[in-house]
Amino acid sequence: MSMLPPTAVFRLPWEVDSMTEGESVRTFGRLVCYQPDESRATLTAQHASKEHRVFVQTQFVEPFNPIIGAQYLVLGETEMYEGVGVMVRARVLNCVDGVNTALLQKAITEQRSFFAERECKQGEVTQPQDVT
Amino acid sequence: MQAAAMDPADEPPAMLWGMDPIFSAFARLFVRDILQMTESIQVPGIYFYNLHPIYKVDVLGIVVYKRERDDFFCYGVDDGTGVINCLCWKSNLLKEEEDPSKSGTKHSDAAEGGFDPVAELRKLRQKQRKRCHLEIGELIRVRGPVKTSRQQREIMASTYYKVDDPVMAVQIAWMMEVPQLYRLFYDKRFQLDVAGDSAETSLSKATNVIKDFLKQRLVAKFRPYDVQDLLQPLISSRLQAQEAVAGPSGCQQLNQLLKEVLQVLQDEGTVYRKVKSQDEVYHVTIQDKDLLIAVKDIIREDSKREKYAEKGCHILHILSAVRQRYSLNVSKAALELVLQTLECDSDIVSTSDSHYIAF
Repeated sequence: MSMLPPTAVFRLPWEVDSMTEGESVRTFGRLVCYQPDESRATLTAQHASKEHRVFVQTQFVEPFNPIIGAQYLVLGETEMYEGVGVMVRARVLNCVDGVNTALLQKAITEQRSFFAERECKQGEVTQPQDVT
Repeated sequence: MQAAAMDPADEPPAMLWGMDPIFSAFARLFVRDILQMTESIQVPGIYFYNLHPIYKVDVLGIVVYKRERDDFFCYGVDDGTGVINCLCWKSNLLKEEEDPSKSGTKHSDAAEGGFDPVAELRKLRQKQRKRCHLEIGELIRVRGPVKTSRQQREIMASTYYKVDDPVMAVQIAWMMEVPQLYRLFYDKRFQLDVAGDSAETSLSKATNVIKDFLKQRLVAKFRPYDVQDLLQPLISSRLQAQEAVAGPSGCQQLNQLLKEVLQVLQDEGTVYRKVKSQDEVYHVTIQDKDLLIAVKDIIREDSKREKYAEKGCHILHILSAVRQRYSLNVSKAALELVLQTLECDSDIVSTSDSHYIAF
């Protein structure tokens, strides 16, 4: 009946690079650069003493008010661009400046470990059933 | 996944659904699980997550799809685990479109100054309308029953509103809380404990009988045989139930129960024995005026000492002083009750969890 977009699963900014084309993702980062003529924004995040970049295609969310240096939440699909690599074509780009990124990271890992734990348990439950 | 694997024959009988507390709550499930839970064969519109019957849910997510009709909005809500359609009816208030000419004239009234209830009401409605009208990218909270229409699962919102979450505090709190709810409730099997704990309940029943008696009569001290008769009815009913079975006599059971009750009351600090002797006398802690005065005096005196003047006396310090000066048998639980009573009467003031001061 309706065309719902696919689920945008949370990824940490440094995981976006390893995604394949066409996946839906939600991630975050500090806006460091916005090129309106190319509809391209760059988010960065620090992880393990390294700075990671997330490139964002902003065509669908324009016009927006770019605040350089602020934290943003982005939700969209990955696309491969020559010379750039993975780029997120944003469906949603929200300014969330002031967000506690450490806590957000913790919440993301918490949710993941919950799902991993649950799948692991289900594996245990279904295995004996398979045997009988 | 879990739900899909469920055998229809395993469905718990509808008679028992209401016994599961999750049934009458808005379950905060992940959208992924709402989409995957199996629908009941007995009653369509009821779903099962891990054998918990569920019919209404509570969801928080970002609007990723939006369609507006005359009577309702259709919002696609993405919580990071799945996307679900939410059917959000417009209230009559929302449907009343504002007449621009009217509002223009009213506006000038308000400008004259003073309180204009009509204008205020309009502002309130505007605010409400804003909260119900969401755009893609905004955060929404939806509660309501789950429906399946045209093979698609959706939430019929009974309440929905826009959530202002500029620094993602609400979303983060939600992400942290929901797994906890799963671990504590949704992922635990629901079991009805019909048998097994009858002994425990009779003890708590008996404890309450004695407590009520002590409270109503403002008893200050008593001996076990003073309250023994109060428990007689409980023992008689128990005997009737197990008439045929040979076991301890009524009198023995009564003594045993009374002993257990007194132990519970002592552990809680409700009663204590000032002197341990052959004569079993129990003092009701908060009715013991001498004890209350003794504790108050200790705190008042020691609060004057330089060491305690600022922070107050620690509960363990008070406890050892009471034991030295008043009775060796005062327990920490009993002292806590005394301190609570004194604090309620404003005789003392607590300066932290465990420090007290008196002026």
